[in-house]
Amino acid sequence: MIELMNVRKVFNAGNPSEFSALNSVNLHIAENQVTVLKGPSGSGKTTLLSIVGCMSRPSAGRVNLQGREITSLPERFLTDIRRKTFGFIFQQPNLIKGISVLENVMLPAYPLGEKRSQLKIKAMKGLSELNIANKAASKVEWLSGGEAQRASIVRALINDPHIIIADEPTAHLDSKLSYRFMEIIEKFKAEGKTVIITSHDPLVYESSMVDRVVNLRDGQIER
Amino acid sequence: MTHWIEKQRYIIDFTLSSLLRRKVKNFGLLALYTLIVFILASTMFFTYAIKKEAALILNGAPEIVVQKIVAGRHDLFPLAYVETIKNIRGVASVESRLWGYYYDSLVSANYTLLTPPGNDAAKPSAKTTVVENDSGGEAVKPLFELNGAKLEPGTLIIGNGIARLRAIGKDDYMPFRAFDGKVLNFRIAGVLSSQSELVSSDLMLITGEDFRKLFGIDNSHVTDLTVVVNNPSEVAMVASKIKKHLPDARPIIRDEILRTYDSIFNWRGGMMIVIFSAAVLAFVIFAWDKASGLSAGERREIGILKAVGWETSDVIQMKFWEGAMISLTAFFTGVILAYIHVFFTGSIVFEPALKGWSSLYPNFELTPFVNLEQLTTLFFLTVVPYTVATIVPIWRAATIDPDSAMRFTGE
Repeated sequence: MIELMNVRKVFNAGNPSEFSALNSVNLHIAENQVTVLKGPSGSGKTTLLSIVGCMSRPSAGRVNLQGREITSLPERFLTDIRRKTFGFIFQQPNLIKGISVLENVMLPAYPLGEKRSQLKIKAMKGLSELNIANKAASKVEWLSGGEAQRASIVRALINDPHIIIADEPTAHLDSKLSYRFMEIIEKFKAEGKTVIITSHDPLVYESSMVDRVVNLRDGQIER
Repeated sequence: MTHWIEKQRYIIDFTLSSLLRRKVKNFGLLALYTLIVFILASTMFFTYAIKKEAALILNGAPEIVVQKIVAGRHDLFPLAYVETIKNIRGVASVESRLWGYYYDSLVSANYTLLTPPGNDAAKPSAKTTVVENDSGGEAVKPLFELNGAKLEPGTLIIGNGIARLRAIGKDDYMPFRAFDGKVLNFRIAGVLSSQSELVSSDLMLITGEDFRKLFGIDNSHVTDLTVVVNNPSEVAMVASKIKKHLPDARPIIRDEILRTYDSIFNWRGGMMIVIFSAAVLAFVIFAWDKASGLSAGERREIGILKAVGWETSDVIQMKFWEGAMISLTAFFTGVILAYIHVFFTGSIVFEPALKGWSSLYPNFELTPFVNLEQLTTLFFLTVVPYTVATIVPIWRAATIDPDSAMRFTGE
């Protein structure tokens, strides 16, 4: 489904502070599986995830998504792919303060111009499934950590993506909430979605629902 | 198409909620912006309308005024010169005038005294009507109107400003000290209409006989002459002929007076703008900072929006709507407030600076004249720069990688 060939990512190229975050990464991520990218801080997990999720481009190498080469696509097309194919769950909930939970959840769908009434129904359904429908009208700053995390999950799912990308999702959650998160991931898998998670939390990579763990160190995949 | 409209609605909705999230900052900016537009538009409306008004009133003024000059100063005009001017080809009629100034120490004000045309006893063809009008059917305001009051020896007709200042009206008496120290008491026969107050606020109409008694002018002299020319295109030519035949005379043509009014009010308007330019500059700096700078919070938000699937162009649209909403609201509010200020409250805020300094302020209502060209200029000087300035950060926003949201770890 997703194939990375000889991917390299260099930051501050040409400067004295040049830094290579990924080196010759070759990876195949299968459909309808839960893949965990594991490794210590600075190993290149987030960089790899951002390249897989079309958020940044590799400095060298190619990325194929469902058989289509996406590395050379202009930004507009990349954004379109990102919007329709991927749902992102960040380490922090990254919700926009000052507006309601419902508005936050609907944000990724705004550029698609879907009818408001339909979009609202979809968003409310998502919030109900994660038991936070009663917080729909609340401002995000009033949410607890777990509620904010669930709101960000509903936001990631609003455009019904095939692939869910989660960057260190349990880093700021206690064990109970982390188990709850993994239950949600299991549900995604059951629905046929592909899940890619970066984590160095054993609770995540040792979970029974994880199909594959990819070890990263110093920007390279450990064999 | 429906999707496109729906998308614009979402973006506008989100922009509005973004603006409301930063209420204090945005309302402060809006208030300051409105104030600047209000000041500029008020000055513009006032100077334009007053120039228009003066031009309309002066359309009824004589085409040429001839004065006598001695050593570069205005002197009394000998009536003997009248025949010479009458004989110049192209001159339709010549009228002598008696006018001057009287300083009233009681109220520290200067009055303009004028003998209406045809009311000088020294002239055999004295008329009683004093309403000036009729210049070929054009909509021209009379220089002064009497509303039927009759001017007789021993009486005065006074302007509205004087009536207000001295708190006097019809049938009251007003004492004057004549050139020889004698006190002359005049009865007020009437008050001039308020329509022409811009030019008649400090005016007093007096008979020729009384005028001569008050200022000690003999019957062979007048203050100056007015000349009517048959063909308007010959005015300049007639003026040069007068100068040629009477080297000690100075002909002043109406266009010159209009030009003087124009420059006086342009100058005052310009002064106002110079005074307020500091405020304008402060606003520009503030607006530029607000519009072109992105706070850490805003950068983070743009990062999140891009990460969840907003394109750079969507963010540009959002910022464009933000700038357009603020600047259009400020522009229209400022212009409407300025219109009310100038045409309904008589420019209460800028009155002293724009009307001039005097104890006798003309109290008049300006006819609303709005110059579309000036409004457009104001629009381009205020709305466009601000809206463009809001687009600037978008180029910066374009450089924010969507993955910045992934790397944000602080809340």
